[in-house]
Amino acid sequence: MPRARALSNHARTVLAALLDAGAGWSHGYELCRLAGVKSGTLYPLLIRLEAQGHLEAEWQQPAEGGRPPRHAYRLTKTGVQLARDNPPDSKVAARRGLREVPT
Amino acid sequence: MSVRFQRRIANLLCRALQSILPPQLRDWGLAIRYEVAEIPEDTQALSFALASVCTLAPRAIGLLLIQPFVALPGAAVRASRAGANRGSGTLHSPRAVGALCAVGAVGMGLVYMTLAGAPVGYLIINAGALVIGLALLFPVSRGLGAGGRLPGVLILGLSLLLLATALLGLRVEGAARWVNLGGVIVQPSLVLLPLMLVGFSRTRTPLATVGIVVAALAMALQPDRAMAAMMTLALAAVAVTRADRPTCLAFTASLLAFGVTLLRPDALPAVPFVDRILFSSFGVHALAGLAVLAGSVMLVVPAIIGRSRDGDDRATCFAFGAAWLAATLAAAFGNHPTPVVGFGGSAILGYALSLSLLPRPVESRVGSATAPPDEPLASRDIHSRIALA
Repeated sequence: MPRARALSNHARTVLAALLDAGAGWSHGYELCRLAGVKSGTLYPLLIRLEAQGHLEAEWQQPAEGGRPPRHAYRLTKTGVQLARDNPPDSKVAARRGLREVPT
Repeated sequence: MSVRFQRRIANLLCRALQSILPPQLRDWGLAIRYEVAEIPEDTQALSFALASVCTLAPRAIGLLLIQPFVALPGAAVRASRAGANRGSGTLHSPRAVGALCAVGAVGMGLVYMTLAGAPVGYLIINAGALVIGLALLFPVSRGLGAGGRLPGVLILGLSLLLLATALLGLRVEGAARWVNLGGVIVQPSLVLLPLMLVGFSRTRTPLATVGIVVAALAMALQPDRAMAAMMTLALAAVAVTRADRPTCLAFTASLLAFGVTLLRPDALPAVPFVDRILFSSFGVHALAGLAVLAGSVMLVVPAIIGRSRDGDDRATCFAFGAAWLAATLAAAFGNHPTPVVGFGGSAILGYALSLSLLPRPVESRVGSATAPPDEPLASRDIHSRIALA
């Protein structure tokens, strides 16, 4: 049976940011700013969440011409549950400006 | 640093990262590159790119190094399934797959030993043993694979060699399982026993049966739990496939021998780069651990390939797989040589020789799809799991 790994507080804050976005799509840079993490922390986490089925990703075409498409992310149902089960530390959440997720 | 220059460096870093990521993760590299392009502030864009590269590049490089070996069992199994679907197949040949697995497992062992800081001489010995083993594959196949009485005579002859080793071989802490061949220490049981067991699965003549009983006696005399376990598990696999009288007799003898080895003390200390490396390798480095694990898994791939075979071919493949599985498990739990991926030419020779009696290749063709660099792909695969474990 695979061993469940405890989520780091960075992972919890990223999950909380994605949870805050609800059904809306988020982008990498925006998530970094909201969760207060570096992209080096964010992308391995996103890749893992996507591989585990907690995150869905899609390519979005730019609104204005000449810009590249962007990779956008949002939580799946299991991802929402994971985020709710793993709220960020309240102090960190307050510092990042994230609301505390009710469990 | 000029603003324009920072933007160019960031873009260059992202492109480099994208190019070294495995195809299954390359769309993530593309995502980072396009995200950097959206960041208005150049310094922030460079910082974003740098942080991504610093984290993902080492994993990507590690994956590049390990990918050929990790992909090997999967490719073999896919080829086997394709072959089974059309009644044949190139890599539907357990022997051909086994030769590839031998190369892959020895390669994995070299990766482990390099990361663990083993002497260069160890690497040369393992590589040399592989070359010798593969060179002997064909002549041994001709000898033991022949019909008539010859295979039985050979199995009996080899068992007498094992008995002589148990009685007259180099003795360490009560175990006498080595011989000195011109300055090179060899463990004959690791070289010969797998070959004998695989041979017995095809040739269950009275002479061959006597040979296996003598070999069981030799294992009990030393004592050698790992080799006795190898005998027992391999013969159990044969008995499950073909439960005839010679097999039952040989299995009973091996079971008794295994029981004796369990009762007798085995005080041999663990040897660095040889014993107990399956778990300890992860303490050296995650890549070293993965290399040992991947190499160990490769050892039983020929048995998986051969599961669709019928009759003696099936029994042969199962005996082969059971023998090497037992040796690997024994090494995981006791001070026994970790076959093929650890230091030691005997196991490599033994693995290569035991391949000689596996079913032959039929035809071969393996396809592998790689994605174009900028095409997004799903990343829910083994590479993601390994990269991010």
